[in-house]
Amino acid sequence: MVTEGTEAVRLLLGMDPAWFAGVLFVMTYVVIMTDRLNRAIVSLMAAGLMIAAGLLNQEAALHGIDFNTIGLLTGMMIIVTITKKSGIFQYLAIWSAKKVDARPWGILVMLAVVTAVLSALLPNVTTVLMIAPVTLLITDALKVNPYPYLFAQLFAANIGGTATLIGDPPNIMIGTAANLTFNDFLVNLAPLMVVVFAATMLPIYLIWGRTLTSTPEQRQRVLDYREADAITDRRLLWQSLSVLAVVITGFALADVLHVEVATVAMFGASLLLLLDNLPRSPSEQNKVVEQTFAEIEWQTIFFFIGLFILVYGLGTTGLMEDVAHDLLELTGGNAKVTAISLLWASAVASAFVDNIPYVATMIPLIKNMAPSLGGPQALVPIWWSLSLGACLGGNGTLVGSSSNLIIASFAERTGRPIRFLPFLLMAFPLMLLSLLISTVYVYLRYL
Amino acid sequence: MTASLIMDPKPTVLHPSDTVRTATHYIMHHRYRNLPVVDDNGCYLGVFGVHCLMRLMLPQAVVMKEGLTTIPFIRETLSDLHRRLIEVENGPISQCINEVVTVVEPNTPLLETLLVLYKTRTSVPVVEKASGRLVGMISYWDVTRKILAAEV
Repeated sequence: MVTEGTEAVRLLLGMDPAWFAGVLFVMTYVVIMTDRLNRAIVSLMAAGLMIAAGLLNQEAALHGIDFNTIGLLTGMMIIVTITKKSGIFQYLAIWSAKKVDARPWGILVMLAVVTAVLSALLPNVTTVLMIAPVTLLITDALKVNPYPYLFAQLFAANIGGTATLIGDPPNIMIGTAANLTFNDFLVNLAPLMVVVFAATMLPIYLIWGRTLTSTPEQRQRVLDYREADAITDRRLLWQSLSVLAVVITGFALADVLHVEVATVAMFGASLLLLLDNLPRSPSEQNKVVEQTFAEIEWQTIFFFIGLFILVYGLGTTGLMEDVAHDLLELTGGNAKVTAISLLWASAVASAFVDNIPYVATMIPLIKNMAPSLGGPQALVPIWWSLSLGACLGGNGTLVGSSSNLIIASFAERTGRPIRFLPFLLMAFPLMLLSLLISTVYVYLRYL
Repeated sequence: MTASLIMDPKPTVLHPSDTVRTATHYIMHHRYRNLPVVDDNGCYLGVFGVHCLMRLMLPQAVVMKEGLTTIPFIRETLSDLHRRLIEVENGPISQCINEVVTVVEPNTPLLETLLVLYKTRTSVPVVEKASGRLVGMISYWDVTRKILAAEV
């Protein structure tokens, strides 16, 4: 723990470091929640104030950044940016639609499955950005209401993202903090997500399934799509799929190979960059690499960096230990009650506030609970509860996750906007259903 | 010299309630690239042109923001596109007015006007800043004709 600046804070502001960090932390959250200022700016400013006030020095601040999370996110963003140029996402969407003979309900299910699987392996936002336009093209051809399709994909993206270590940023953070591997997530959460996905599709069918109809001519228009022509660069397609296969295998074997997942992702990213640029001239390479790097979600990356420093600074004051102790008192120090409470509280919180800062805060809190609950092993069900709550909670409201907002913006452009309240009335009960299933699973499997 | 001296002060205009069919007739008959759209008070609203017609013939998923960038997998015929245009031709042009067009003011200097024409690659509306009224249009041909007629 680096607390060289503590004395400086007292001298500079005459304030207790824990108070200063606590106030700064709460203020940062409030400003992020108001959406009046870009969240990356807010978190970086808060991190800067931590250092400027002397609570952390620069070295300590850098120490607080989880570069495994940053590296994994950046690496996967590069891989996806290059891969999507091949047209593979459009291919998959059209192929899946044709597999069900272009029947409207079948297409809804297939596109939701494609979204869930891709979201498990790639960033959710990228997945919905690629699948939603094809969905709208298909619903336009079938002359059916796109709302149920987008609604199902929104759920599928968050459910799929919950299934793996790399599916959703909170899982990356939890995996890194708790030393949970790619395989741990796959074994513990993926089967549950299959059940949650199936359970979610049932009410969607009952609400909309039987109303989705189209004529044979309209279906023929979709069947006439030539999915093979969606592939715009076959060489790049094979290169991308090969690198993705290497990266996924690397994630699965990371523990055996003693490498971090960030190393695997960044290696995959650099390998794909190399393969994509090898046949190009040096000047072309500069242009292509610049374009690729420009598509990285730097706002998210810097948001994470600022947040890690902020939470680390807060941790150095000892405030987290006090809060963890208080939380455990609330649950009576009972691991079962703590795990189940955390699952539900995390879901409700994540439905309304960004789950990334929420999880960033909860991680040190949970770590501080280890001694009282009987060591790190006792925390395992609590980590799964946090992951399930934070990721599935995103389905509760329209602002629950970034991918929700992307899908809502597409709906808006079709002239059939997804309104906050009607969405809440349908989505929140569905989220509660997924929490109920998760609660039974966590209780039976871990408690 | 300013924009007001080289503009066409009585351009053909469209109104938001005009149908796509009417606009198509004007555009195709006179080979207009863009026609200005004004409200009942003569206030400038935007332009409707060949680009808008193309937009109406393409699937919404392609022309929307962050939509599909390529659609080589769809094979449609001229008849399909005509059918698509017929589906919307009785609708008002207000559904597809292009509002993001650079305009000039009547007192914009000549060279600046020429630069706007060069950059926008289409006819430029001349709009009074205070009232928002359309006072004319400037085409490549207007400018070039007047330049060639000027004494050296």
